[in-house]
Amino acid sequence: MSNERDPKLMALFSQAEADLDDVEFAHDVMRSIDGERRKTMFIWSAFIVAACACLALFAAPALTAVKMATSFLPNSLVSIEADWLQQLLAPVNSVAAAIALGFLVLRKLYRRLFR
Amino acid sequence: MRYSPDLLAKSPEPVLVGLSRTGNRDAFAELVRRRQTWIRNLMRRCSGDAVLADDLSQQVFLQAWRSIRQLSDAARFAPWLKRMAINVWLQHKRRNDPLRVADEHEASDSTHRDQAGMAMDLDRALGTLADDVRLCIVLSYHERMTHGEIESLTGMPLGTIKSHIRRGTKKLQKELSAYAVIAEEAT
Repeated sequence: MSNERDPKLMALFSQAEADLDDVEFAHDVMRSIDGERRKTMFIWSAFIVAACACLALFAAPALTAVKMATSFLPNSLVSIEADWLQQLLAPVNSVAAAIALGFLVLRKLYRRLFR
Repeated sequence: MRYSPDLLAKSPEPVLVGLSRTGNRDAFAELVRRRQTWIRNLMRRCSGDAVLADDLSQQVFLQAWRSIRQLSDAARFAPWLKRMAINVWLQHKRRNDPLRVADEHEASDSTHRDQAGMAMDLDRALGTLADDVRLCIVLSYHERMTHGEIESLTGMPLGTIKSHIRRGTKKLQKELSAYAVIAEEAT
C-alpha cells in the first residue's frame, strides 16, 4: 500500500500549524464541564425529590397494587386435577409465566427489527 | 484529592489520564491544556473556520471527560482523542451541511509568508475540496496517518481513500502552487 505524500504540501501543513496554547480555551472547557456537572446534579436531585414525593403519595395504593398482582400472578392458566402435577407445572402454567414469555418474545422481536 | 498545578504539569500523560478517570478535574484540565493545540489545529484544517473549530474542540473535550472511564489503556489517550475528534467532525458534517458543494471558494494567487496568512490560504485551498476528500487529506497530511489507519477511523473503503488523497493532492498542488517555492525553502 502506497502512502506517499507530497513533501511540499507536508511542509506547508507543518508551517500552517498555529501555536494555540491559550489558557482561556482550557478554562472554557472546564467551565462547560462544571456547568454540565451542575446540570446533572440538578436533574438527579429533582428526580430524587420527585421519587420521594411519589413514594409518599402513592405508597398505599402501590402496596395494594403489588398485593393484587402477587395474588393474581400465580393463578394457573389451565386447571389440572392432580395436585402434584399442578405444583410441578406451576412455574410454566401461570399468569406470571405467560407475561414473562410475552415479554421475551417482544424483546426478541424488537431486537430483530431494530438492531 | 487536589494536586498542585506544578506537579500535574510535570506528570506524564498516562498518569493524568488515570487521575482523570477517577474524576480529578485538575488532571483533566492539564490534559486539555496539553492537547488543545493539536485538536484545535486538526479541527481548523477540517472545518476551515477558527470559531467553529474551537466550538467543536470544546465538544471533543467534553465528550472525552464524559467517557474517559471507558478508556481502558491510559497510554492510548491520544489516538482515542483523535478518533473522538473525527467523530465529532463527522457528526457535525452530517447534521449541518449534507448538501455542501465543493469549489465554493474563489481561487487566489496571493501568498503569505506569515504563519497566520499561510494557514488561511491552506484552509481556503482545503475549502475547495469536497468534504470527504478534505477529511482524507487532513488525516493524511496533518495527522500523517496511513491509508489503512484512515480506513479504520472513517470507515471509508481503501480505494476511495486512495483516490480522494490523489485527487485532493493534485488540487492542492494547483491551488497552492505559489507556495511551492516557500515550501522548498523550508525543506
